[in-house]
Amino acid sequence: MPPGRMPKRVKFRKEFRRVRRRNATKGNYVAFGDFGLQALEGAWVKGCQIEAGRVAAQHYLKREGKLFIRVFPDKPVSKKPLETRMGKGKADVDYWAARVRPGTMLFEIAGVPEQAAKEALVRVAMKMPVKCRFVGRRVAV
Amino acid sequence: MHENATILEASPRERLGSRYSRRLRTQGRLPAIVYGHKIEPTPISLDRTDACLHIEAGEKVFRIAIDGAAEPQVVLLKEIQFDYLGSNIVHADFARVDLNERVHTRVHIDLIGEAVGLKDIGAILMRPHNEIEIECRVADIPDSIEADISSLELNQTLTAAQIALPVDDMKLLSDAGTAIAQIVLQAAAKSAEAEEVEVEGEPEVLGDADEKTEETKEEKSE
Repeated sequence: MPPGRMPKRVKFRKEFRRVRRRNATKGNYVAFGDFGLQALEGAWVKGCQIEAGRVAAQHYLKREGKLFIRVFPDKPVSKKPLETRMGKGKADVDYWAARVRPGTMLFEIAGVPEQAAKEALVRVAMKMPVKCRFVGRRVAV
Repeated sequence: MHENATILEASPRERLGSRYSRRLRTQGRLPAIVYGHKIEPTPISLDRTDACLHIEAGEKVFRIAIDGAAEPQVVLLKEIQFDYLGSNIVHADFARVDLNERVHTRVHIDLIGEAVGLKDIGAILMRPHNEIEIECRVADIPDSIEADISSLELNQTLTAAQIALPVDDMKLLSDAGTAIAQIVLQAAAKSAEAEEVEVEGEPEVLGDADEKTEETKEEKSE
């Protein structure tokens, strides 16, 4: 299994695949930081991809700002080994994934100027398996 | 102040529901509703470009001129709904108000000045909250409140109670200790992250632990 984030303990070892069609209705706005990286597509984002994004952002930001990771890979995805016949039960867990819907906020940054946040999140976006965009905070009422 | 509030031209909506709202949006209109003051709610539609321009600028009090009505109604923006990406406003709620009525509203905080504490190496400015809830007259609602952070030092926090409200009879409703701005060392901010230790190998399965204990109990009983 590639290194990355995963839960410390789980209730069940494996789970169904489930559908992934709808748009995000929660976790789809900048809540903690000043700027964020929003997914425009749906996907299962692997734990190692999230970790790669975190490393890329913190490497660019060096010791400035605070990075918030808004998604967590809590979904076990199993995969059968190559050249294996079908059947014989569900395969072992291959990786852990975060369910990302269109609109989900992936990362947020606080405490840095807009240009620095943008540069950092562009680097994070390159590590993501989905199209992303840079957003700021919404107008509050 | 709000005698000069922006006038939004509106037309009443006769057909309601998501289907007709969607059609209105394609025609460049913004579906909205006006309610309050014990009068029947009035579904309306606004010019989307014009309305969004003012709403996104932070304005909260408007005068809505509905086609066929005698004079514009003073309204307070109560809620806005966004699409799933949060980029487009799809609906707005307005409440009828009097200019002298006292209302509860949230106001954005603008930080001004260069904090002293930010000159220290590794110091960062954190903004846990960027708006506060206040009670004031409709006529006194500001678009934003300015808070001076120039005297803020390292490890100091600017709370909601320390913000000077622009009008005397304005009342703070948010918790007085709500942190608006604080200057912390990046190392301190990271210590919380360090607690998230990466799990190596396989995560613990809760059911497995129970099964194992049951098995050992059975073995012992035998």
